[in-house]
Amino acid sequence: MSLKRLANAMIEGDVEKGKEVAQDLLEEGTTPKEILDDGVLAGMEVVGERFKNFEMYIPEVLGSAQVMHEVMDILRPKLVSSEGETSKGTVVLGTVEGDMHDIGKNLVALMLEGAGFKVVDIGIDQPAQSFVDAVKKENPEVVGMSALLTTTAPKIFEVIEALKDAGLRDSVKTMAGGAVIDQAFCDENGVDAYGPSATAAMEIAQNFVAEVKR
Amino acid sequence: MQVNQVHNSTPQFSVLSQDEREMIFRGALEVMERVGGRFYHQEAIELFKDSDAQVVDESLVKIPSWLTLQALKEAPGKITLCSRDGERNVHLGGNQVNFGTGSDCPFIYDRETGERRRYTRNDVYEAARIVDYLPHIDFFMSHGLADDVPHDETYDRHQFFSMVKGTKKPLVVTAVDGEGLQDLYQMELLLTGSEDEFRLNPRFAVYIEPSSPLAHSQECLEKILFCAEKSIPVIYTPCPSAGATAPASLAGMLIQTLAESLQGLVLSYLKKPGMPFIMGGVVTIMDMKTSNYCYGAPEMSLSSAALTDVSKYLNLPMFSTAGCTDARVVDEQAALEAQISIETAFLSGASLVHDIGYLDSGLNGSLEMLVLCDEIIGMVKHLGKGITVNEEHLAADLIDQVGPGGNFLTSKHTHRHYQDEFYFPTLLDRHNIETWASRGKKTIIDHVDEKLEKILGSHDPEPLPEGVEEKMKEIIEKADARAEEAKSKK
Repeated sequence: MSLKRLANAMIEGDVEKGKEVAQDLLEEGTTPKEILDDGVLAGMEVVGERFKNFEMYIPEVLGSAQVMHEVMDILRPKLVSSEGETSKGTVVLGTVEGDMHDIGKNLVALMLEGAGFKVVDIGIDQPAQSFVDAVKKENPEVVGMSALLTTTAPKIFEVIEALKDAGLRDSVKTMAGGAVIDQAFCDENGVDAYGPSATAAMEIAQNFVAEVKR
Repeated sequence: MQVNQVHNSTPQFSVLSQDEREMIFRGALEVMERVGGRFYHQEAIELFKDSDAQVVDESLVKIPSWLTLQALKEAPGKITLCSRDGERNVHLGGNQVNFGTGSDCPFIYDRETGERRRYTRNDVYEAARIVDYLPHIDFFMSHGLADDVPHDETYDRHQFFSMVKGTKKPLVVTAVDGEGLQDLYQMELLLTGSEDEFRLNPRFAVYIEPSSPLAHSQECLEKILFCAEKSIPVIYTPCPSAGATAPASLAGMLIQTLAESLQGLVLSYLKKPGMPFIMGGVVTIMDMKTSNYCYGAPEMSLSSAALTDVSKYLNLPMFSTAGCTDARVVDEQAALEAQISIETAFLSGASLVHDIGYLDSGLNGSLEMLVLCDEIIGMVKHLGKGITVNEEHLAADLIDQVGPGGNFLTSKHTHRHYQDEFYFPTLLDRHNIETWASRGKKTIIDHVDEKLEKILGSHDPEPLPEGVEEKMKEIIEKADARAEEAKSKK
């Protein structure tokens, strides 16, 4: 019942209620793993679904994410190491060099986190080498690249080339998104998938991880 | 004889009162003093250091209000852009409204296949040719972003070449960086003749866009400084989206946008006082369901008109936005969004109204949309003519002559006035249903297509003067060679 209350706090974006219910649950003896799976992620699944169906606005979704982050801060120290491995997979995300835009990328990060992924966001204006370094360090299944400008879109190709040069290209799946990106651009530049929206990017990452595990 | 008569020679429209305009301006001054802006350019920082502005760290600059007021005092409220022939026909300031395209859309629908594909140099030329023909479009921006170029870093020169070949109308140009702008200026001087001549009769203004909130990239600042040096009109126009890169409250977005624009003005002033400066802002909202940057939102038209009110308070020309849409194809949504923005921008009295013909939230530079918008502008301009109210036009004598039950078709008064008083559409279908059916039941989209085919098949722009094309190509080739060299070094 209380797990449901936590999920509702997530959906409502009520940080205080979320933290309170999570504390109560821990005191009642619910395991951190259960709270994570049946409270936090269950709530975010509803949020993701509603966002996808245009039933929720972006500021509300960001409110839900805020609850998720605060509850995770409570849970993280209590999750035993084996339970910490609950991640559905790891995604390295960044906006390419010369491009300062981060709203789209942040939404993708949010949807991925809500779906249980570990997201390593390397930030905006990132040269190809930063993507390579992050891949070496984090060993992700997926790399996501964002570009809003026609002048910076070609930098996506540079990231792909740098991954090749570092011998890492085959160890990851790649996806790209942003206003000026389309399927043809991804095909021409050797990007595995084009994500036209945050929810689409999340689904692509889920499919990639499913492929890897198969 | 009557006395104390006041006549509206045009309709009257405004969003903000004098007091509200002042509040927006004071809000912008507050942001400039309290928050400041980031300037990523060494010379810009040096210029601020030598002034009374406060340079807080390596890029953050806070500007005192008196310095902004000083810069405003020196800025000319009147700028004139000229055609290739030096015709002074685009006047900015004083409620003169001029309509034109936007620039750098990556996509176009192919006329043959209907497929969405990348823009080419030839598409930019075709867009220029259409604008050259259309009577209600006053200036040209590239509409599309030429993708079929040897280097991304030199696309601006190739694009500019297609623009000047395609139309004689005044231009607004975009450039990759300061070096790109220098090349465009050199190319234009081949037509204008000399720097002196350009100063008095500028063929183009330069579109420069800082990054909201409150950041000015190196490339932006290179361009402002070059423009100030050469007295090239600058359009400094942020593109905030309310709720994402600016406050969700429209007044909050307006003070931030104005602060961003005026930060550019102060830099231009510090480089050289009194250089031609046009304020601007594509002030719109982020759609909270899709994160779309909205080109067809009523909030955009309302905010743009309000910012235009403020521009008049400051006596600066204003760069505004209309004739664009979030619709993905030319459909009913496209038409209604374009109509609302064109009418609002026109009535607001903005100096340069750009983005006419944008489809797909600024991603598709549509040729069809251009033709459709030309008609909307024609109709809206007709509203601007207002109603002449005098004895001849009140026509009481005529009504008496014709009398109850008569008709006015044969009267001399009708012959005298109908051509001036009426608007004659070129796309709107007013045939009765039988005639309409017998002519193929055409919709406005069919009429747009036919007109577009006619223009493309028949309108040839005046060729460039002898020898100019070759000299322009030399400049482009040199730029490409430099890009090639830089690439091989990498």
